[in-house]
Amino acid sequence: MNKTKYVGQRLPRTDSLAKATGAARYTGDIWVNRRDILYAKALFPPYGHARIKSIDTSEAEAIEGVAAVMVADDLPGMNGYGGMVPDKPVIAKDEVLYEGDPVALVAAETKEIAEKAVKLIKVEYEPLPGYDDPVKMLDPSSPMLHTDNPFHKNHNISDEQIIKKGDVEKAFREADVVIDNWYKTPLVDHAYMEPDAAIAEYDPIQGGITIWSPQHAVQLAKRAMSDAFGLPQSRIHVISQLVGGGFGGKEDSTFDVSVVAGVLSIKTHRPVYFELTRDEVFKGTGKRHPSIIHHQLAARKDGKILGIKVETIIDKGAYKSIDAIPSRTTQYAGGPYSIDNALTHSWSVFTDHPYGCAFRGLGSPQAHFAMECQMDELARKLDMDPVELRLKNILRDGDTTIWGQPMMEERGLGLEECIRRVTSDPKFNEPLDNSDPRIRRGRGIACFMYGTGTGSATDGAHVMVQAQPDGSINIGVSASELGQGFLIAMKQIAADTMGVTIDKIYLDYADSAASLESGATVASRTTVLTGNAIINGLEKLKERFSAVAAPMLKTGKENVCFYQNMVFAKGLENEGIKLTAVIAKAFASQVPLGAIGSWYPPMATPKGDGLGDKMHTYAFGCEGVQVAVDMETGEITVEDALLACDIGKAINPDTLEGQFEGGMAQAIGWALMEEHFMSDGKMKNHTFHDFLIPTAKDIPDLRTIIVEHPNALGPFGAKGAGEPPIVPGAPAIRNAVYDAIGIGLNEIPMTPVRVMEALRKKSAENADKSRR
Amino acid sequence: MITVSFNLNGKDVSCTVDAKEVLVDTLRERFRLTGTKKGCGTGDCGACTVLLDGEAVRSCILLTAMVEGRKVTTIEGVGTMDHPHIVQQAFVDASAVQCGFCTPGMVLTAIALLNRNPNPTEDEIRTALSGNLCRCTGYQKIIKAVQLAAERMREGR
Ligand code: FES
Ligand code: FES
Repeated sequence: MNKTKYVGQRLPRTDSLAKATGAARYTGDIWVNRRDILYAKALFPPYGHARIKSIDTSEAEAIEGVAAVMVADDLPGMNGYGGMVPDKPVIAKDEVLYEGDPVALVAAETKEIAEKAVKLIKVEYEPLPGYDDPVKMLDPSSPMLHTDNPFHKNHNISDEQIIKKGDVEKAFREADVVIDNWYKTPLVDHAYMEPDAAIAEYDPIQGGITIWSPQHAVQLAKRAMSDAFGLPQSRIHVISQLVGGGFGGKEDSTFDVSVVAGVLSIKTHRPVYFELTRDEVFKGTGKRHPSIIHHQLAARKDGKILGIKVETIIDKGAYKSIDAIPSRTTQYAGGPYSIDNALTHSWSVFTDHPYGCAFRGLGSPQAHFAMECQMDELARKLDMDPVELRLKNILRDGDTTIWGQPMMEERGLGLEECIRRVTSDPKFNEPLDNSDPRIRRGRGIACFMYGTGTGSATDGAHVMVQAQPDGSINIGVSASELGQGFLIAMKQIAADTMGVTIDKIYLDYADSAASLESGATVASRTTVLTGNAIINGLEKLKERFSAVAAPMLKTGKENVCFYQNMVFAKGLENEGIKLTAVIAKAFASQVPLGAIGSWYPPMATPKGDGLGDKMHTYAFGCEGVQVAVDMETGEITVEDALLACDIGKAINPDTLEGQFEGGMAQAIGWALMEEHFMSDGKMKNHTFHDFLIPTAKDIPDLRTIIVEHPNALGPFGAKGAGEPPIVPGAPAIRNAVYDAIGIGLNEIPMTPVRVMEALRKKSAENADKSRR
Repeated sequence: MITVSFNLNGKDVSCTVDAKEVLVDTLRERFRLTGTKKGCGTGDCGACTVLLDGEAVRSCILLTAMVEGRKVTTIEGVGTMDHPHIVQQAFVDASAVQCGFCTPGMVLTAIALLNRNPNPTEDEIRTALSGNLCRCTGYQKIIKAVQLAAERMREGR
């Protein structure tokens, strides 16, 4: 390996100046500048569940400037698409299963005409009962949501996962204490600032289609939409523009808009632009799955956890989307602890709600919320320090997780350091000011672990690398720039690997035609998987160039070093030759200048009962928060938040901190404010003034500590870091509130209404006790 | 249709619009100034912020007809990639930009704040920015960027 010059440095991102000056173009900005594009609108139903009795599009079609009106019967291919299975109709045919099912589509010369035309489509509906309750829907006697969907035959269950380890019943029999509680988490929107949008342009030359849209996964998009377009996957070309925030959501929602633009473009042979209004984004796109969790935990009186039994019911919404939540909630139901006996069981259940999709943490925040609340409940029951209790149980080198995977320090196990650094922080230990009886202050912590990558057999990454004769390097990589800073991180990794100055690295990114399958930009996997694939490809080039350079340098090829655009024999840094000279020689010597780089994590090893190795490495962390609770209004203020997270190696500490801070803020929103209310399949709050997310006033100074326990298989030791920071916030806040007011709230968001209700209930109980 | 004349980024312009047209659409679709973003269209997110006679306003709830005779400044009018405004440069230097969709609105809100209060406290910055939503950054580095810009402006850099 060369000397590192860039990895670990706080280098500025390459996209920030363009974004700060308005020069950066997002999908909607291309439409504005391309006036040959038709504008599309979809007609969405006014019901969450209804039968379509008739549709009359004649008036819309008659308007001048309308290029196409489509209903389900007009589609070019199969009426279905989706990331995992094509179960979501492009246009609803007989029934709408949630508010986001389009009933008809319009493409017109202008936005005004499209808006006018869509209003003239007449649909007769027969409203059907809304299925809002996943617990009821799980009952075998309940009606089926999908009555005629080839992908959904298992009653209302989209997925069911179980992990069984050890002898749980015995553990519970032998336990000194059992902690048994229910927890509830809400339906929430990703609230990315850029509403979904897509441009589709039919390719008349080869009969294909090009899609521009903010995507998490340009290669997956080809598979997800090919049936709907009636085209082979190879003919679908997908380019992800800059993504104005995704957080997992645009992995699916982008298909929703791309498929609409696509079928209209295939029909009209014209380019088509389709965007959602914010109202449509709220009602129609994917959400974080709400969950109801029954968590039972058995422990010895010295605090050792003996076993857990956890049941999690997940509101899947109407379609499958990315349905990894049962798998992740069973996996993380025991938190980052060594537990010998476990039975964890999760179901994702169909309802008339927006489909649950990937959202930062993918089920792990829900699972850790319950587990980390349970840890504080256990600490209270045993009158133990919650920090000591955690330290007693955390996974250490050689321990196995509840899914039976041994933990290894060489893959990075920094949890203890995270806990110690948070809990020994001076500010976190200052005396609490509880002088005002109206304001109660308290502190709490929560810990977590989170795997890098999908943990599935298909996980892997492939990239194209190509040296140019002028010494610059192209890297074709299918990952997307979501704002996380992947461009700069990949450049840092590539420049140090190749031994070139960073300005020599240019990424051909997020374009399915310029790159290979490297998996979706999800699951905190890009730095590690794509980074490793880039290293693999560049090492191939270096090996070839070493062979070319060796005779030029009069040394063996094993002695050839690359650094800062120079090539030299080991130890003879000052007698080097320019990399361009070596490339020129290679070019003239039948040595290819391009290569494919690949990397696979160690194969997941499913062994039955949900056991076996999943991800090859895990991020760990601990967050400590201080809250103030206003006893008269029930309002909770987070006054301090400190996150320590072990991510192996910080490739770029600036962008990494950005991920930490963003995740911490989203956790505050999830814990305290965000919640969609559904009734009869209809969303009650669908604007930013009734679905509140944190503003600058709701967030304290966010403090972060980067902990680096290197992952031997990661690029420069890195592990995945994008999602982990959201995981511990909600339970840490809840535990701090518990500390402040002596009440453990088991349902989030902890809104003033819920806090006041809990306070009133407690004071009634106290009054009752004192009367007796 | 109404003809509206106003000053846009230092130039006098006029356009003929429907009485119901909002400024964000006029700026983006007629003048192709796509640096102004539209995140909600309901006046809640601040992505569409522009300066109207120096004050930060939401252009998605402002009728174009209302800007007759006034001075509108968009993100394109405050600085360019070659000559960024101090606040834009501070956003870059403080790593305050992630997905960037909120950034133009944030920058303009910050400029309006610093023009009326060159030495704001952290609390004043948070209050000023509280109408601009950012889902990516937790606001941490945005606050730092505004503080950095304030410092540089005071030092006349
Ligand atoms: S687009 Fe104007 S406030 Fe959101
Ligand atoms: S940087 Fe993405 S919304 Fe602010």
